[in-house]
Amino acid sequence: MNARRLLYRLALAVIGLALTCAAADREHATPIRELVLAPQPGGSGQSVAQVERGRDLLILARSSAGNEMWLQVTALAQPGTRQQEATGWAPAKLAIATSSPNAADIIFGAAVDSEIEAEKPKGRRSAPDDAQRLYQRVAQFFPDTDSGREALWRAADIQWQLDRARGKKPIDETAMQNVIRKLPGTRYADLAAYALLENQLCGDWKGQAACPAQEAEIYERYAREHPRSPKAAEALYNAAWRTGVIADIYRVRNNKEQSEASHNRALALAQELANQFPQAEWKYRAETLIYKMQKNIPLYGTSE
Amino acid sequence: MALKQKAAILGAACLVLLLSAVPGHAAEKEHGTVIGDADIYVAPDFKAQRVGRATRGRDIFLIERSKIDNKDWAHVLATIQEGLLQPREISGWVDGRLVVTVSTPNADQIIYGEAVDSEHQQELRGGRQKADQDAMRLYYRLYEYFPGSPLAAESLWRAADLRWQLEKSGVFSRPSAREMDANSRSQIDDETMRELIKKFPGTRWAQLGAYDLLDNKICGDWKGEAKCPEKESDMYEHYAHEYPQSPKAPEALYNAAWRQAVLVDMYAKERGKADKARKKSLDIIQELTTKYTESDWRARGVQLRYLLEQNLPVYGQ
Repeated sequence: MNARRLLYRLALAVIGLALTCAAADREHATPIRELVLAPQPGGSGQSVAQVERGRDLLILARSSAGNEMWLQVTALAQPGTRQQEATGWAPAKLAIATSSPNAADIIFGAAVDSEIEAEKPKGRRSAPDDAQRLYQRVAQFFPDTDSGREALWRAADIQWQLDRARGKKPIDETAMQNVIRKLPGTRYADLAAYALLENQLCGDWKGQAACPAQEAEIYERYAREHPRSPKAAEALYNAAWRTGVIADIYRVRNNKEQSEASHNRALALAQELANQFPQAEWKYRAETLIYKMQKNIPLYGTSE
Repeated sequence: MALKQKAAILGAACLVLLLSAVPGHAAEKEHGTVIGDADIYVAPDFKAQRVGRATRGRDIFLIERSKIDNKDWAHVLATIQEGLLQPREISGWVDGRLVVTVSTPNADQIIYGEAVDSEHQQELRGGRQKADQDAMRLYYRLYEYFPGSPLAAESLWRAADLRWQLEKSGVFSRPSAREMDANSRSQIDDETMRELIKKFPGTRWAQLGAYDLLDNKICGDWKGEAKCPEKESDMYEHYAHEYPQSPKAPEALYNAAWRQAVLVDMYAKERGKADKARKKSLDIIQELTTKYTESDWRARGVQLRYLLEQNLPVYGQ
């Protein structure tokens, strides 16, 4: 009896493994338009499910109906979402398979399209999520291409912005950590590392020096560790500005010594920025910051 | 009596001289602006009566500078506008530290930095109100005071574009914006944009300005009629060919191709016209994808070609 049960379990495990392998072998696809899964090729019958742009589809079979090619697909559910798996038939022209000619460009183009739509005042409501999913698919289907790397970063960035807009605190770091792990030493990893700093920032400073001091340190460390990052100049500016604010806070509290030390440190950081990044917009913001500090114009709060 | 007459004549002459000297004197004063909102007081004292506020980027005349109780003060003549009231000229004293004039060392860079700062403020959630208008004025002041600065052309472009976007959002939010004909709605004031194109011809800034100007020519609601996408497609294609180096050239080509693709949908019952529009769209996409290989617009072009090849609708999607 025990042996039979063991055999049964073993058989189940083998079948499960075989299914997983088959799934791994199957081709993936993604819709570039919202589509409805039908119970059979041709689209007749009650719809099975509605599938959003950018969902990960597993192709199970292909068939032609009414002069059109149809795909039987399983729309996979992304972990951590409310999506549910569903299987049905979709017109092949709306679901771009990984083997389709120019598939990476077509999906990437659809993602850019959704991103632009998201910026319009009356754009499609689902556009930001659509863009995020579509970029995610490009990264998943074509990880070793330039489009794939760019898409991995863009998907993580959109996810970050969406989480922030939805008030998530702290913001989930998984996607950004993924960028750093998969694309080490690239500008994308630098950008992801910069985004992650947001989770370390204080909320309201409440007029205390501790918060800007901690944040200035975080930004300065970033600028030192990522000197070629597109965000290095911004990080140095943030460090300089916060250090200047600390000088104001100490000055108001009549702590002349610490105020002067912070003032000089802020000037040095701003000067370093102006010298090191002569082409960046941040250089001019640094020049303005230097001018304000030299004239003792308060940086924090009002001028009086 | 004669002595009294002489004294009166002398007094009148002095008064005339004094009065005639005032405008000349003002004209010699330094132009400048403020890099922070500056309250204007009747006297150099923060407790004195406040007569107004000069916001960032307002054009001011510096009459004199003074140091009182170790504080810098500037006596200025400023044109200010508060709320919906008419602009008025007032003179008074402001915090001298905030006044940057044409003779301030690195003034162009300082004004530019403050303008960039204001633009960033506008983008921040909870950022300073009307910071975009501060940025617009500051950029314009830079160009006005330092037309030879390496930052002048970009500053005029940024000032013109900020003004354009502000006016555009107003014009396109009115009911007249839903009319098909562009002439049925009020036009976006193009004065600053024209100034940019005239002063800095052939630069990328002038090319960007020329692209913005197209907004005044596009239709409102197409109302399903083909003449609008036809006209707009021509307009965008013309732009892309006239300014092939413009950062907006690939976008213009995409817009032209997309409108031709829309015409394919609109001419669904007129096969000849639909085929012509499809061919035109595909030709433009070909130009876009081969000429601008590094741009996001290339990928959008590839996607559009796919939609056309698969006979998928473009209009209303």
